[in-house]
This record gives sequence, C-alpha cells and structure tokens, in this order.
Amino acid sequence: MHWIDGIVQGVLLGGLYAQYALGMALMFGVMKIVNVTHGDLVVLLALIGISLANVAGLGPWAVLATLVPIGAALGWLLQRALLNRVVGNDPLPSLIATFGLSIALQNAMLVIWSADTRSLSGGGIQQASISLGPIFVGVLPLIVLICATLLTGGLDLTMRRTRFGRSLRAASADVEAAAMVGVNPRNVYAAATAIAVGILGFAATFQAMRSTVAPADGPFQLIFAFEAVIIGGLGSIWGAFAGAMILGISQAIGFRISPGFGILAGHLVFLAVLAIRPQGIFQRRA
Amino acid sequence: MSKYRVARMTLSGRVALVLFTAALVGICAMPWWASQGLIRDVVTLACYIAVAQMWNMLAGYGGVVSVGQQAFVGVAAYAMFVLAQTFGVNPFLAVFLSLLAPAILAVPIYGLLHRLEGAYFAIGTWVVAEALRLVATNMPMLNGGAGMSLRVMTQFSAHERAVASSLLAAALLLVTLGGSYLLLRSRYGIALTAMRDNPVAAASQGVDVGRLRLLIFIATAVGTGFAGAVYFMAQLRITPPSAFDANWANLAIFIVMVGGIGSLEGVIIGAVIYFFADRWFGEYGASYLIVLGLLTLVCALYFRGGIWGLWSKWVEAPWFPTRRRLIRLDGDKA
Repeated sequence: MHWIDGIVQGVLLGGLYAQYALGMALMFGVMKIVNVTHGDLVVLLALIGISLANVAGLGPWAVLATLVPIGAALGWLLQRALLNRVVGNDPLPSLIATFGLSIALQNAMLVIWSADTRSLSGGGIQQASISLGPIFVGVLPLIVLICATLLTGGLDLTMRRTRFGRSLRAASADVEAAAMVGVNPRNVYAAATAIAVGILGFAATFQAMRSTVAPADGPFQLIFAFEAVIIGGLGSIWGAFAGAMILGISQAIGFRISPGFGILAGHLVFLAVLAIRPQGIFQRRA
Repeated sequence: MSKYRVARMTLSGRVALVLFTAALVGICAMPWWASQGLIRDVVTLACYIAVAQMWNMLAGYGGVVSVGQQAFVGVAAYAMFVLAQTFGVNPFLAVFLSLLAPAILAVPIYGLLHRLEGAYFAIGTWVVAEALRLVATNMPMLNGGAGMSLRVMTQFSAHERAVASSLLAAALLLVTLGGSYLLLRSRYGIALTAMRDNPVAAASQGVDVGRLRLLIFIATAVGTGFAGAVYFMAQLRITPPSAFDANWANLAIFIVMVGGIGSLEGVIIGAVIYFFADRWFGEYGASYLIVLGLLTLVCALYFRGGIWGLWSKWVEAPWFPTRRRLIRLDGDKA
C-alpha cells in the first residue's frame, strides 16, 4: 500500500510538473531555445498572485484568472523585446541572455518580496481530501492533475487541428520555408511564448497553493520542467506530460525511500533515460 | 616571386609575455613581500580567472555551452579534502591527485549529455551539478550536509601555507592561461578556431569535431577542478552548497561575456572587473546581482565581443596573439 500510495502521490505531483513542462516543450519545439527564466517566471507570477490576494483580496480562482493573462502578456513581451533577437542556430546567445535575465529577475524579486517563503490561501481546499479505496487523495492535487491533462490535451489539439497550430509546426519544421508561405515567424514565436508563459500562470497559482514559493526557487522548477521534457521525448506535447508523471513518481518513491533522496531520484531517472533511451521514452527513433 | 613567412608574435604580445612571466614570478614570491590578505585575494582572483578561462575555452572555442561547471569545482575540491583529511595524503600532493576526479567524471557526463541539442546540453550540465550536490549531501563519507574541515593544514606553519597557496595560484594561472595560449597557438588551436567559427565547415576540412569537443570538455573539467581544489584549500572548509554553488557558473559566464568571449585578454579584464565589483558592491547584495545579470544580458544581446572586442576595434595590440599573419620576406607586410 505504501508504494501504491507513493505512485498515486507521484502522479499527482507530476500534474504540477506537467504544467511547468508544457511551455518548455512548446518553446523548444518551435524555436529550439531554452528560456532559463522559465522557473523564475513561475515564481514571479506566484508572488504577484499572492500579493494580489493580499492587497485586493482575490480568491484563488480569481488569482488564477488574473495570472494567466498576465503570464501571456509577459511571455509576449519577453519574446518581442528579447528572445526574437537571439533565436537562431547558435544556442549561446539565447541561453546567456536568459541566464543573465534569470539572475537579475531572481534578485529583483528578492528586493521586492524578500527571501521569505510565501503561499496562497485556497480557502480550505488545501485540506480537503477524498478516499479512493484505502488511499486518500487531496482534492487540490487532483484538480491540478485534471487541469494539467486538459491543458495538455488542449495544446495538443491546438497544434494539430488549428490554423495557428499549423503555422507553429511550419515554423518549427523550417522557418524560412514557413516565412515564404506567409507565416510571420516573429508573430508565431511571440504567440508560442505567450502560450508557454500563460500556462505558467496555472503552474504558479497551483504551486503557491500546494506548497510555498520563494525568489530563489526558480532554478529548481526550470530543472524539473527540463527533466520532464527530456524523459518524455523532445517535441512531443503528450511526451512532456508523461515525462512529468515519471519524474513525479520517481521523486515520490525516492522520498519514501529516504527524505534526502527524493529530488536526487528524479535526477537519476533523468540520467538513466539519457543513457538508455536518449530520444525519450515516448519518442520513436528518428 | 617573393617568399613569405608566417608570423604570430607581435610587439604587444612580447611585452605581455614578459609582464605575464613577471606576474607569475611575483605571485610565487608573495610570501616574502605580500600580506596574508593580499595572498588570499590573489588566490581568489586566480581561481576566478581559471574557472572563467575554462568556460571560455569550452563555450568560446569548443562551442559547448555549460552552466554546470560547478560540478567539477566541487568534485575536485571534495576529492582533495577526502585524500588529505581522510586518507592523510600530503595536501599539496592531494591537490594534483584530486584532478583525476573531474577528468574521470567528465567522460561519462559528456557521453550522456552530448545526446542533447545545444541549449539542452547546458541545462543538462546544471542537472548533473545539482545531482552531485545532492550526492555529496547524502554521503556519510563526506560528512553529508555538515561539510568537512581541512584540519590537517594545522601541521603546517602560516608561512608554509602561504608559500603553498602562492605556488598553487601561480601554477593555476600557468596551466589555465598559459596552457590555453599554447593550445590556441598549436595546430589544435587552428582546429578549435575553425570549429568555433563553423563546426560543419571545420568537419569538412578534416577536424574531428566530436572528438575535439570531448577532449576540450575533459581538459576544461580538469582546469576548473584545479581552481576548485586551490580555492577550497585556501578556505579550509567545504560544504555541498558552497562546493557546488551555481555562482561558479554565474561568475564564469559574467566574466567571459563582459570581458569578451573567445579571447584570453577578455577573461583577464572581466575577472578583474568582477573581483573589484564583488569587493566594492558586494555589500549591496541583490541590487548588485541585478546589475551583474543585466550586464550579462546586454553583452549577449548587443556586445558579443565584450569589452575586449570593443577595445580591439580601436587598438590592434593583442596581449596573447594567436592569429597567423603572412609576412613578405622582402620587408613589406602582405
């Protein structure tokens, strides 16, 4: 029972990681860049949300409804002002530019919000749980998992079925050819980053409700998102979702073996996947 | 038909070489003229220069971007502590023996991570550094999160320790800066420069890009580890968060980007700027780091050559000339 409970908790944790990972998979798939501020943006949005809840008295769902558009706007701005200048074959400029921004952002948050850990009150929902047979499942983690599933499904359908998704895939396959048939790469890129950071609005709200956030947490969330994407397989939206589940389960089981081993277990599974199936578990060999 | 000869050395290069040698001799002789505080500062600066130069070789020439070089700082430093403190090896010998650890570790790390594309490789190195930090935190042999102290150093007098620190700092600079200079002047340097400019074209000219990248990854891991062992020998204390501190990557990236990527001169300029910025503005903590982060960002966006790149546009006087120029033997420059 101990282990089954571990797996269930791991899947629920994976729901949160999936929300981190989707945006990263989307951005790398379309632009081949990694935004090092990915995790810091989760923290920034969460801290904005907590401040909104304290100052304007917003409830958790109102915070969520505010953070998603704020995230989308931030993403659009980030792409327009910065990332569009560094997209290209050379990974160095985008990596270093966002790396520098990440340090600046973490310390700016430290100045504004101090190093305290904060969390968002959910009005009792954090304590609520339901029993599935002998296992108790928190209502909030369940909502997070359902949300993650819907976001993944929605993003996957958008990519496959809509005109916008087609232009994203075209820009991802060959940006010059896409430009020739009327896709404006800069607009497509800005929309992709807006979606990616908009999804982080969900991640930020749930992270702040489930546990705590502090300005220095960003790198960990970046790393978890990255591990989920690599475990699942590059460029696949459902792969990132499944990778997040595997990462969550690895960490939850690791924590049950020894509290100091949880996060490390996730890293080890990531390295093992790189060693055995570098293309990711859910990606067919090219 | 005129005859040609290839020249690399310039007047500025000769002057710089004399100054570099004089500086190394001065550093070796520090115990006889400098204060304890100055020796400590010079050791720290030498470590900054070494870590930054190793990142410069990796990213600026090898085209391999890493944000997890602290992995090698920590592994070598811990290896040195274990050899000296646990097994009683002479600490100064232990510094050199400990370099085997990053060399051995670099091979599987590169083997695993080179399967990831460009930017993902970099984040992968960060994961490895984090994993090693957690391993060190969980290892009873390393005294876990509480860290270790280098108590064996008490058997040496303050003067003996000062001599060792000074010699190690000089050796560190000689190996990382001098070694890079020699490497860049050799035929490997031509291959590296070709690879930096265009890996595909370099491969078509017979450069084994994959093998060269692996070799440069191992070599820079050893150089970075050397700096780590020297730094923590001076600190006398090590903990997993300090050994695997992401700030090692931050400072290497800042120094190289602001000083000028792909040049040895830029690393020295950047390291001196970082050293004094840290000294003078470090007390402002977060605000100072905001400026540092934004400077890195601005350099990556607008000044890819950094300060040295801007300076070189005005004055053609390299301190470490690696370019080959063709000289006509009848006196005229071609």
